[in-house]
Amino acid sequence: MAAPDPNRPTYAVDAIPSDVRNGVFLGNPALDNVVTCLIAFGAEVWSTKRRLKVLEALMTKAGVTHEMIEKYVPTAAETAEWEKERDRFIELTLGPLGNDGFRTVGTDFPKHD
Amino acid sequence: MIGRRELFGAAAASVALVKLLDDKAIASTGAMDASKAPEWAQPRGADGRLTRLESLDVESQQDFTLGFRLMQNKTLRSSSNAAFARALAKLGMDPKTPVTAEEVRAIADSEPTINMASKAWLSNQQITWKTLADHFHANSDHYLSELEFGDRSGPGALELNREFDVPAFARHEIHIQPGGYVGDPFAGYLYHYGTNSFYIAVMGHNEQDQVHEGTASRLPIPADGKVRRILDMGCGVGQLTVALQERFPEAEVWGIDVGGPMVRYAHSRASRLGSKANFAQRLAENTGFPDGHFDLVTSYLLHHELPAEVTRKVIAEAARVTRPGGVYYPIDFMSGGVKSPAAYMYNRWWDHRWNNEVWSMEYHSLDFSGEIAKSGFTMPANPVAALPGFGARYAIRTA
Repeated sequence: MAAPDPNRPTYAVDAIPSDVRNGVFLGNPALDNVVTCLIAFGAEVWSTKRRLKVLEALMTKAGVTHEMIEKYVPTAAETAEWEKERDRFIELTLGPLGNDGFRTVGTDFPKHD
Repeated sequence: MIGRRELFGAAAASVALVKLLDDKAIASTGAMDASKAPEWAQPRGADGRLTRLESLDVESQQDFTLGFRLMQNKTLRSSSNAAFARALAKLGMDPKTPVTAEEVRAIADSEPTINMASKAWLSNQQITWKTLADHFHANSDHYLSELEFGDRSGPGALELNREFDVPAFARHEIHIQPGGYVGDPFAGYLYHYGTNSFYIAVMGHNEQDQVHEGTASRLPIPADGKVRRILDMGCGVGQLTVALQERFPEAEVWGIDVGGPMVRYAHSRASRLGSKANFAQRLAENTGFPDGHFDLVTSYLLHHELPAEVTRKVIAEAARVTRPGGVYYPIDFMSGGVKSPAAYMYNRWWDHRWNNEVWSMEYHSLDFSGEIAKSGFTMPANPVAALPGFGARYAIRTA
C-alpha cells in the first residue's frame, strides 16, 4: 500500500491477496453475504449497546441513576414520537420478510412492456 | 491546541542521536523515552501494557468479535464437530484411521452445519480485520505520527530498510489479515489488536503479554548459565522479544522480522514499555549476525508460516549464529505428517485453507525435529514445551 506522503515511509510492500473472500460455503453467494451482514449488524448493535452502558455509567456519576432510567415514564409526546421511530425501525429491518416475490430472475423473467 | 503530530515532530527534532544510515534506511539508537509520552497524547489511556484502542466504537466492535469467537468455539464448533462425526459414521469410516487432507475435504464439503460454522467464523474474522483496518486507516496521520515518534525512540535500536527485498513467500495475507505482515503500514497494530481476541478465545488472556511471558520463562538456557545475547527470529510485534528482555535484563536481545511495519510497531511498543530490546527488519534465513553470536536463539510460531525449504535454511542459519553449547528452541505447532485422524486432519486443512495459513501443510509434512537434529544440534530427550500444547524442540549447538 502506497504511503500517503512519500516523505512519510511506511515500509509496506505489495502483498499477495487471499482468495478466501471468493469462497461460497452455503451453496448460494447471497446466503453467504447475508451471514456476513448479520455478524456486521451484530458488531454495530453491540457497539451501540456498549456506548449506552458507558453513558449510563457516566450519568450515574452525574446523579442520574440506573433506577431513574428504568423507572422513567415518557411523556405522551415522547411516546408518540418513539412509537413512530420504532415502526420505522421495524419496517426497515424486518419489513423485507414480507416481500412477496415468487419468480426466479433470469431470461424467462417478464420484460417491461 | 498542539496536535499530536506537532508534539511528536518537535520532540523528535530536538533529539540529536537519531542516526540515518541513508535516505532509504533508518536506525534509531534509542534516543527518546517513549514511555514518557504525555497522558493526553494517548487519548483513551492504557490498560496495563495494552494501549486502549482510540475509539470506543472500534473497541466495542472488537469486544463483539471476541464474544462471537467464544460463542463459535462453544456452540458452532460443537455442532460442526457433531455433523462431522455423523458424516464419518454415515460413510462407515473409523475416526481414528489416518486420512489425507483431500479425503477429509470430501467428507466435510457437503455438510451444511459444518459450512455454516465455517462461514460464520470467516465472516467474524473478516469483520475483525475490517473494523480495525478501517479505524487505523481513517486515522492514518495519527498512527503514522505515533510510528514516526517510535522510530526515534528508545532505549532499544531499530533497523528498517525502505528497499528491503521481501520474498514472495512472506507476502501472503496470513490469517486473512489485510496486507498480511508486510503490505499494510499498520500491520503491527492490526496483528496485535486482532490477535488479542484469538488468544482470549483459544489460549487465554494475552493483553498483558501473559502468554509470551510464560513462554519466555520456560525457555531453557545453556548449561553454563551464560545468556549474553538472544535472537528472536520472526518476532512479529515483539511480544516474546520484550518478554525475553524482561527475563534477561542484562542480555542484548534482538527481534528480527521480514515485515517492516511489524518491527516498526514492535520497536515503538517496546520503547513505550521501556524495554531496551532491539529490532531489525531482517530475514530469519539470513540474519546478518556473526557466527556463534547468540547464546539463545528462538522463534515464536514462525515455521508454520514458511515453506519447508525456507525452514531448512532458517535451521541452518540458527546453527550458524548459535554458539557452541548455546540453545536453539523454535516454538511452533506439533507437526503431524501427511495423514492424520479425520477430525484432526480436517481442522488442520481448514486452518490452512480458510485462515490462509498458506504454508502450514508443508510445515506439517516436514519432520521438523529431525531437520534440527541433523543440522549441528543435539536434542535432549523429553523436553518441556515452552508454549504448552505446542511442539517442544530443545536443541543444543554442538561444539
